[in-house]
Amino acid sequence: MSDQDNDKSTTPPTTDLAGLSLNPSAGSFVPRVNAKAFVPSWMPPPAPAPAPAPPSSSGIDFNAPPPAAVLQKSVDTPPTRAAATPEISAPRPPAVSNKSAAVDRVGSQAASSPAPSPVPTLAPPTPRSSTPVQKTSSSAPKKATTAAAAEAAGGAEEADEDAVDQETLTEFFGKEHMNVIFIGHVDAGKSTMGGRILEASGMIDKRTMEKIQKDAHDAGRDSWYLSWALDTNAEERAKGKTVEVGRAYFETDTRRYTILDAPGHKTYVPSMIGGAAQADVAVLVISARKGEFETGFERGGQTREHAVLAKNGGINKLIVVINKMDDLTVNWSKERFDECVDKLTPFLKSNRYNLKTDVMFMPVSGYTGANIKKGIDPKDCDWYSGPSLLDYLDSITITDRKLNAPFRMPISEKYKDMGTIVVGKIEAGSIKKGAQVLIMPNAVKIEVANIYNELEKEIPVAGVGDNIRLRLRGVEEEDVMLGFVLCSLKHPVHAVSKFEAALGILDLKNIIASGYTAVLHIHTAIEEITLTAMLHLIDKKTGRKSKRPPQFLKKGQQGIVTIETSGGALCVETFADSPQMGRFTLRDEGKTIAIGKITKLLGVGSDDGAE
Amino acid sequence: MSTPQDTIDNNIEMWKVKKLIKGLEAARGNGTSMISLIIPPGDQISRVAKMLADEYGTASNIKSRVNRLSVLSAITSTQARLKLYTKVPPTGLVVYCGTVVTDEGKEKKVNIDFPPHKPINTSLYMCDNKFHTEALSELLESDSKFGFVIMDGNGTLFGTVSGNTRDVIHKFTVDLPKKHGRGGQSALRFSRLRDEKRHNYVRKVAEMTVQHFITNDKVNVTGLVLAGSADFKTELSQSDLFDPRLVAKVIKIVDVSYGGENGFNQAIELSAEALSNVKFIQEKRLISKYFDAISQDTGKYCFGVDDTLKALDMGAVETLIVWENLDIARVTLRNAAGELDIKHFNKEQEKDRTNFVDPADGSEMEVVEKMPLLEWLAEKYKDFGATLEFVTNRSQEGSQFVKGFGGIGGVLRYKLDFDAIGYDSDEFFSD
Repeated sequence: MSDQDNDKSTTPPTTDLAGLSLNPSAGSFVPRVNAKAFVPSWMPPPAPAPAPAPPSSSGIDFNAPPPAAVLQKSVDTPPTRAAATPEISAPRPPAVSNKSAAVDRVGSQAASSPAPSPVPTLAPPTPRSSTPVQKTSSSAPKKATTAAAAEAAGGAEEADEDAVDQETLTEFFGKEHMNVIFIGHVDAGKSTMGGRILEASGMIDKRTMEKIQKDAHDAGRDSWYLSWALDTNAEERAKGKTVEVGRAYFETDTRRYTILDAPGHKTYVPSMIGGAAQADVAVLVISARKGEFETGFERGGQTREHAVLAKNGGINKLIVVINKMDDLTVNWSKERFDECVDKLTPFLKSNRYNLKTDVMFMPVSGYTGANIKKGIDPKDCDWYSGPSLLDYLDSITITDRKLNAPFRMPISEKYKDMGTIVVGKIEAGSIKKGAQVLIMPNAVKIEVANIYNELEKEIPVAGVGDNIRLRLRGVEEEDVMLGFVLCSLKHPVHAVSKFEAALGILDLKNIIASGYTAVLHIHTAIEEITLTAMLHLIDKKTGRKSKRPPQFLKKGQQGIVTIETSGGALCVETFADSPQMGRFTLRDEGKTIAIGKITKLLGVGSDDGAE
Repeated sequence: MSTPQDTIDNNIEMWKVKKLIKGLEAARGNGTSMISLIIPPGDQISRVAKMLADEYGTASNIKSRVNRLSVLSAITSTQARLKLYTKVPPTGLVVYCGTVVTDEGKEKKVNIDFPPHKPINTSLYMCDNKFHTEALSELLESDSKFGFVIMDGNGTLFGTVSGNTRDVIHKFTVDLPKKHGRGGQSALRFSRLRDEKRHNYVRKVAEMTVQHFITNDKVNVTGLVLAGSADFKTELSQSDLFDPRLVAKVIKIVDVSYGGENGFNQAIELSAEALSNVKFIQEKRLISKYFDAISQDTGKYCFGVDDTLKALDMGAVETLIVWENLDIARVTLRNAAGELDIKHFNKEQEKDRTNFVDPADGSEMEVVEKMPLLEWLAEKYKDFGATLEFVTNRSQEGSQFVKGFGGIGGVLRYKLDFDAIGYDSDEFFSD
């Protein structure tokens, strides 16, 4: 709500007259822009919402200094300009500079309704800004009143919505939700472990399990039955290789979990990246079996690539499980476990994983189920006394949940089932049934008809971190593509086709120069892109940028480049604004070439025309 | 002469023909006074000479005076050209004669005769308002054309690689249901729906493949490469729906991680050895070698016009790589004192008059000679002991070479230290 206001401040009503004249025409939008409704909901309930309340205040806090600065400026300016000041109390001011896209988008609304963010509404939540705002109101009283009147009517419904959110959310988030992805080399036992967890947590009833077991037996693949719980396709079962990311759901006493079972095979890495984008925690499955560990970890093995991609997908917590400890060649030997750990440690360290806080090593056996839910039988292994996998998962705390941020949900799956259904993880904010959201980059306004959780049960509201299915009204399934983003009406995500990014080259045959084409993965989107220009080389030690554009970049170097999509617009944010929407991976010829983060949005995408 | 030398000469020959065709295609003349004459090998000069004499007689009856005169003069010059040959060269003979109207509206006589670089199997005599170059263009096309089908869960791309061109014939996207775990009671229904959709997709691709790669009941490519992620490509190749005539032509099935353009590029890369004598692959290899030199920091490389020419002068260039459409002119200027100066301008610099001003005294310098750098290089490269390679910007590597390195560079025999490279630590911003 306030974020958008903020955008407006970059388009000050220099055309003051235009703003006034346009105002009536934009009347329809005004109510939504306004935060008036919001205030009452927060103001009265000091008691009911202990969790949501602090975030809300923090949201404002962390923006506090910049607004203050702007306010002063605005006070200096002549009264006509002052109309813009109320907007300043918006959070996330750093966004402004980069948000050229949104600015354009919002431009029309902003110009037409600069004043609507009304004095009374803003004053209560941010007492600091209240005084200057009053000043402004006195300086441009006419505007404020007209706008306030306009928004008063429409604002009511919005207020209602927000109030419900707060209450239901607190009640709803009794059990936290977490997304866990299993990554690792082919045949490390990812799917089997997933199946074992489902079985251990009782998510798969006995009959289904028996049926799968029988099927596996009939196929002559007895040992595969656990993985078949997740590998449901005929082709996956036939080869014993996961092709697409499998999903499953389970619950422990303390948490709800979504399991994402990534394919380990080299060719299916794109699918794995999409899965990693939705996960909070990764479980890196390593096979301890003689020879398998080595192949998986060597050059070209997926252990390395997956670990890098997971880190770049925004996963900080990594659990390294040394699997297949029960294998005859290993036999719960501590030496083998230590060997694996010793070899992995330097590699993980070099990929910016903090070994002390973020990485946990544990020996398990997915097939026998040892150390998955219950600890290991001391007869087998007397040297490991740490927690079991599920116990450890329960103990992890997730910190960066932005419940009060504007709603964002990249679409990772879609299908048709009595309407358009999209699946994804909520990256920020919350959504409730019947809410209006925007689907970007199309900029189509849609309504959320139903929300389903992992168990296909309908729920009234979902919040950040939840992996949900939404039935949408107002859009055809064909018009939705993977990588599209559902976002709040007031703060749409940016859709651009050109941006500047810092790039770190990981693996490369020789060099890349401008004109290079590759495939870009960002959140769940996959897009073909071209590097159109090399801007700076970054000195790794000092972090300084070169003045002269480099002719090329080679392995190990970092640089700032311009990237252009060859297709349409892409929903992204700068890394500074939203790390999850601003970090990407470049791949070419089946290899991960580079990772990067977006530093600046340049080209305005199609959303501009939609306005 | 050794064979590799021949192929290089051949490449340059081809480039020259290509340029010539471009020029001829653009040319327009008055009336029907532009003569295109192609004599296949084995034909006799005297027969053609007689035919021309007859034509001369016919042409004198043309009513319009302007047209008649220009046609007659064109025929006369053609006859004159023919007199230079005692017999038809082993690869045939191509003659173009006529009066061309230039951009400035001036008339210019064009008389070109040359034996093509490989046998031309066409007999042609045409008087038209333009030159007919179709037969020559055909000569340039490599005889082997390879078809590609890149098929994955999101869509399919049909493309061809032939000579140094890579074309996308058609691409379309599909929406296949992904696997979405459970579905309770309807799990079976979902999986059936999914199977049906996938089957339809394979059928559609099989039909499209026939549409694109079979013309007149004949396969129009020498080989077919199937690529894709997951199992679609194998499913396609084993499917009954896939035309047996095409099955016979499948030379390779490769695994790529993406569909679309990127998958196409990767498929070409992966099937490189099967297509090793296609120019496109050779070009990719050549530039890769150059990029390797750069990435290993051997110092045995150069790029940019100035550095490359410097290296050429020193005889250091082993292989000179130039973009075939490099638009840089080599201009020889003479200043007031009569000293010659050679400069290289691109299109924009050429328009900028300040580039033609003598920095010493501010007077404008006289342009003695102006020719495309490419032509100059094609003529002179042997003097520098280099081999010349033309590349396109159609491959991944080519496009980088053109965009990132200005379209001209070379692999050197020994290390050279260009002054320009000496920028390092002090070139960084201080933040």
